[in-house]
Amino acid sequence: MKMRRSGSGIWLVLILLVVLGAGAPSSAAGLADRFERSLGAAAAPALIKEYGGEYVLPIQQRLWVEEVFARLAAESERDDLDYSLTVLNSREANAFSLPGGFVFITKGLLDLIGSDEAQLAAVLGHEIGHVEKKHGVNAVLRQMGLTVLAEVSVVALDFLSADLLRMAGLTLVQLLQAGFGREAEFEADVLGQELAVRAGFDPTGAIRLLDALAQLSDEPMHIFRTHPDPGQRRARLEERLALFWSAPAPVTDDKALERLTRCRNSHQDGRTDPKGRYVLEMPGQVAAGVKLFDQQTGESVLWAENALVAQAAWSPPGDYLALLVEERGGSEVWIVDRWGHVVSKLQDPRGAVTSFSWSPHGDLLALLVQGPQGARLVVAYLQAQALAEVGRGWEVQDALWLDDALYFLHAGTWYKTEPPQVIPVRITEPVPVVLQRRRVLTPTLIREGNTFRLTRPELTPP
Amino acid sequence: MAVGRVVMVVILAVLVGCSGTVQAFLFTDPTGLYSTQIGDRWVYQAHQSTSELMVFYGAGDFELLYFERLGPVGYATALEFAQRSIELYGGPGGLEQFELVRDFAAVEVAGVQGISCAYAYQDGYGNRLWEYRIFLVLPTGEGFSIAFSDHSPEVAEGPPPLEDILRHWRWLL
Repeated sequence: MKMRRSGSGIWLVLILLVVLGAGAPSSAAGLADRFERSLGAAAAPALIKEYGGEYVLPIQQRLWVEEVFARLAAESERDDLDYSLTVLNSREANAFSLPGGFVFITKGLLDLIGSDEAQLAAVLGHEIGHVEKKHGVNAVLRQMGLTVLAEVSVVALDFLSADLLRMAGLTLVQLLQAGFGREAEFEADVLGQELAVRAGFDPTGAIRLLDALAQLSDEPMHIFRTHPDPGQRRARLEERLALFWSAPAPVTDDKALERLTRCRNSHQDGRTDPKGRYVLEMPGQVAAGVKLFDQQTGESVLWAENALVAQAAWSPPGDYLALLVEERGGSEVWIVDRWGHVVSKLQDPRGAVTSFSWSPHGDLLALLVQGPQGARLVVAYLQAQALAEVGRGWEVQDALWLDDALYFLHAGTWYKTEPPQVIPVRITEPVPVVLQRRRVLTPTLIREGNTFRLTRPELTPP
Repeated sequence: MAVGRVVMVVILAVLVGCSGTVQAFLFTDPTGLYSTQIGDRWVYQAHQSTSELMVFYGAGDFELLYFERLGPVGYATALEFAQRSIELYGGPGGLEQFELVRDFAAVEVAGVQGISCAYAYQDGYGNRLWEYRIFLVLPTGEGFSIAFSDHSPEVAEGPPPLEDILRHWRWLL
């Protein structure tokens, strides 16, 4: 099998090299596009066959996937391409792209992603990134001993029969499964994240997807085998999160300044449980654990009793309580759920966290981190467990959220910065759902002499 | 104390007596878009409903009634909305053994013009189901759908329970 594949590759190189050289350089760009499209179209059938054929998604899921893809494709830089998306009938969690705008995602990866549109945007953005940067076509040309796409002349294309293109396509499919190389994958990650942000998706989608993939068993993780170390990819994507925030601008509006002063002095931030059950008792000093009065039971409870808590605040939606915990040699933020369980701990390698502030939606925390170069402003993305230093290099005295913007005090002046806007997917031409009645669980009562026995409910047809 | 008990018993008796005669209840959409009167043989299904989708099970084993708000839509007319929906229901990834059994017809729901049609298909358990559906594009540009399904071809002719519901329909815009 291997012998046959390498043989066809050499054949292709030889034939192409023979027919190259008599080209017309003036039409190189258009020619390159034509070559890309032909190559992608030639490789697509083999790829679809290898991954179980095309899978047709149920209507509602299809509309959702298509909408995410359309938003990303609209933001791509190459308007010479018509992007198309095919779902492959494979349980393996994977995605591919071919030159000319052919993007593929497996059913297995869609199942893993579920309804997380940011994760879907990250995958599709990554694949569009490969197409934009011509990773596939360049890899084929490299394999064929060529360095510049324009070298493929009109003559070469004319001489390329359908069979030869198919052979080139097979070479491409083999290359695809081996990956385009470390740097190409990193480049596609970065471009995919940028595309996702431009299209209005959460930039942490790729980070969360990498984490989800890392938790899978070894079998379906083919996407990792062909890609660089996931830890490195995650770190690079996390490092870039701060780039998507707006450049800090000084606040000059009197009303905004007045609101900032009022909020800063109110000392009420996060003390009241937004869901109304608990009353947070803050002694005003570092204490062991955090004491809350439970109005439902009428009793006081102590959470995180083994921690030295310096600050506590409820998230605005009331789902979590954040605690600033002093540890030996530093401090960190613990996120506690409404049952008092610690769900995550945030630590910043840059230094010790000295205070925090919740974003209005409770998905971000602004942290003041004291490091060797002074206090820095770091934003923690709770769902992705990722950190971004906003206003990099600026020394910050205080920070707080107002509406959806983050304000921070630097050298006596308030500055405002905003996270990238996230726009939920809305299907322009939706269709109504078609429902069926769900099966009903019916327990059966059986009489046995003077006693009755209730049998396990059985599924009955509706 | 004894008088209080008597009063309580009387009130309970009246309530029990009345419950047997109640034929319908007024249903108001929690999001405040519409209200209608629904027969008391229809039971609201909280586990299948959301703020956009209201689901009721009828007394029959397959009787199902549901209303769906689809938010702002890009369709200019209800006909476009209906055509696109039926095209997808009958296409790949759509409904098994789909068949349009009653063609598009104009319908009015409390002053809003819409399109009705009926189709049949096979559910995941192999049952043949018939569904009568109304497609509406509200003056606000929002898509709305009313559907009634059952295990009977008579649904295609316009189900009587739905006629009653439509007669009492009010938009709360």
